Amino acid sequence: MNTLISLKNICCRLSSDFSLAVADLDLQAGTIYTLIGANGSGKSTLLKVLALLLTPTEGTIRFPSYPDLQHLQLRRRITLVEQSPYLLTGTVKDNLCFGLKVRKIPHHQQQQIIEQVLKQVCLSGFAERKAATLSSGEKQRVALARALVLKPELLLLDEPTANIDTSSVPLIENLIRQLPPQGITVVCATHDMEQPQRLGGTLLRMNLGRLDKLDSNSRH
Amino acid sequence: MDYLVESLWQALILISTLDRQLLQIIVTSLYASICGVLIASCLGIPMGVLVGLKQFRGRRLIITLLNTLMALPTVVVGLILYGLFSRQGPFGSLGLLFTPTAIIIGLSILTAPLIANYSLTVVVGADQRILTTATTLGASPLQAKLLLIREIRFGVVAAVVVGFGRAISEVGVAMMLGGNIRGSTRTMTTAIALETSKGEFAFGLALGIILLLVALLVNLLLNYFQQKT
Amino acid sequence: MRYLIKPLLICTFLFFSSVCFAQERLVLATTTSTENSGLLQILLPPFEQQNNIQVHVIAVGTGQAIKIGERGDADILMVHAKAQEEAFVAAGFGVERFDLMYNDFVILGPTADPAGINESNDAVAAFNKIVASGVPFVSRADMSGTHIMEKQLWQMAGIEPQGRWYVESGRGMGEVIQMTTEMQGYTLADRGTYLAYLGKTDLIIVVAGDERLFNPYGVIAVNPQRHPHVNKQGAEALIDYLTGQQARDLIRGFSINGQQLFFVYD
Repeated sequence: MNTLISLKNICCRLSSDFSLAVADLDLQAGTIYTLIGANGSGKSTLLKVLALLLTPTEGTIRFPSYPDLQHLQLRRRITLVEQSPYLLTGTVKDNLCFGLKVRKIPHHQQQQIIEQVLKQVCLSGFAERKAATLSSGEKQRVALARALVLKPELLLLDEPTANIDTSSVPLIENLIRQLPPQGITVVCATHDMEQPQRLGGTLLRMNLGRLDKLDSNSRH
Repeated sequence: MDYLVESLWQALILISTLDRQLLQIIVTSLYASICGVLIASCLGIPMGVLVGLKQFRGRRLIITLLNTLMALPTVVVGLILYGLFSRQGPFGSLGLLFTPTAIIIGLSILTAPLIANYSLTVVVGADQRILTTATTLGASPLQAKLLLIREIRFGVVAAVVVGFGRAISEVGVAMMLGGNIRGSTRTMTTAIALETSKGEFAFGLALGIILLLVALLVNLLLNYFQQKT
Repeated sequence: MRYLIKPLLICTFLFFSSVCFAQERLVLATTTSTENSGLLQILLPPFEQQNNIQVHVIAVGTGQAIKIGERGDADILMVHAKAQEEAFVAAGFGVERFDLMYNDFVILGPTADPAGINESNDAVAAFNKIVASGVPFVSRADMSGTHIMEKQLWQMAGIEPQGRWYVESGRGMGEVIQMTTEMQGYTLADRGTYLAYLGKTDLIIVVAGDERLFNPYGVIAVNPQRHPHVNKQGAEALIDYLTGQQARDLIRGFSINGQQLFFVYD
């Protein structure tokens, strides 16, 4: 197995009474990680560090497979879907296009990728809909699709099923389970204590800003 | 009373027949204001966005300065630029005094702080998630800022519209730097001042009506954009 | 951003086209009396067409026009304060002063004539009567040709004008006539502007014909040795035109309500 990203002695002080500390964490390529922990335990902060949005005060983050890549190039291989995602004004397609345009993907390819991913999240035919008119479950799926069109190597999901009606949860979870075979490593923060079981993969537990221990929890 | 009604009637005739002189004054006014505001936008919007987003030493000072400049009296701008553009002044060799270009420069200096300040407010009030969203989708810092401006564009356009409102209704700069030259630098406001002094009430009134219409249009636009945000 | 580019380009184009393709430009600093009376709108177009020059008229008071000339912000002056004009030339700011035309100053007052001046031809005596009556006198107070004349008259009358009755307006001739009308006071005005305002004021002429009220207009080209950037050819061409027969006929023929406003020397 390849190590995709490796964190050593990370310390990230956000305020006088909260700091994130990760002694040692290696994420293997093509694996699902589920991240659990109480509110305020630092799940979102860890995701932001992994997304290279937050620069830690101490410690090193390494990408063993890409020793020479610049910050921006690395960041373009990682995508974070936030808990209550912000959708850009305009259509669903506008939302999906932004990341592709930034990566200078040719227009005809954009079209193809978008249609394919919309089908994956069961939003076929939604391309021209205004983002503002969607339900919160649909918005969440658009945000997920917006990340998937980028074919990231590391996909970080912050409570992807928190704002969704229960009937759509299996749809999302099913989708997540299909990602590792496509070469996508997933870290999924969650509240739902049952979810790690359903997703399979490796369990990470946060407690008071510390990453506690790694439980190997193989897929059945 | 008859005098006012008579003048109003004549003013409406002037407007409806598209009096050539009237038309030229309106075009001059719009041209100077639009150019001035465009230049001011190129300076003011990036300024407002940067000050709105970045935390740096002296930021509060710059905000205070922008607020002060917003209340900049037009005649002070006129006076200073007059001194700079006069043949005896440091930029005298450019021959800018009493040209539309001088008015445009004056108007852009006058409206840039206004546009910067309004853009700043819009940026500060914008959804905090816009920049993170752009960054997580792989945007460079510049691309992220451009996306932010795109997302708050109605607010920014409203700022530009406010600047235009100030430029079109401004007298001091147009009078002092333009010199109220017929066929060249006579704007709606300076023409109204002149026609009133000449006792040509109808012509002044016609311009006044058009200026009011422009102001009304500007406010309707502003309302439209404010509802969009 | 794309939707901004097109208007931006159009404006830039307009901007440069107005700078590049403009006709030759000649800046004439003059008094409000010549512009507001409408004389220049009759006088200048033939010259502009014949020479393909656009004359940009800046209408201010004589004092300010001379200052603009001293700084080199105009190419040519058309003003009415002979002593100041000669000083302007003597100091090297102007090339030479040419007589253009003349008319006269008049003292205007309300029809009731509360100061009892009664259509005299003695301006100094009239000023004394105005002070004695306490009726408002509206002064240009802007160092214009009219204001300079007014100050000379006060000096001759031996009076230092000040007090509630003396209104220092700082405005142009037309505005002062209107203010005087509203205040029902007295003022000194050039006859040309008064005639141009005849329909808009009910003031009457209470003093005229005093030879001290003679009002000559001159033209002076700004000295290119002092200000090398000035439009020397244009200024010379305009002076040739203004002192030529065509312009003299136009000035002589210019009248408002059947009254001739300006007179040329024979």
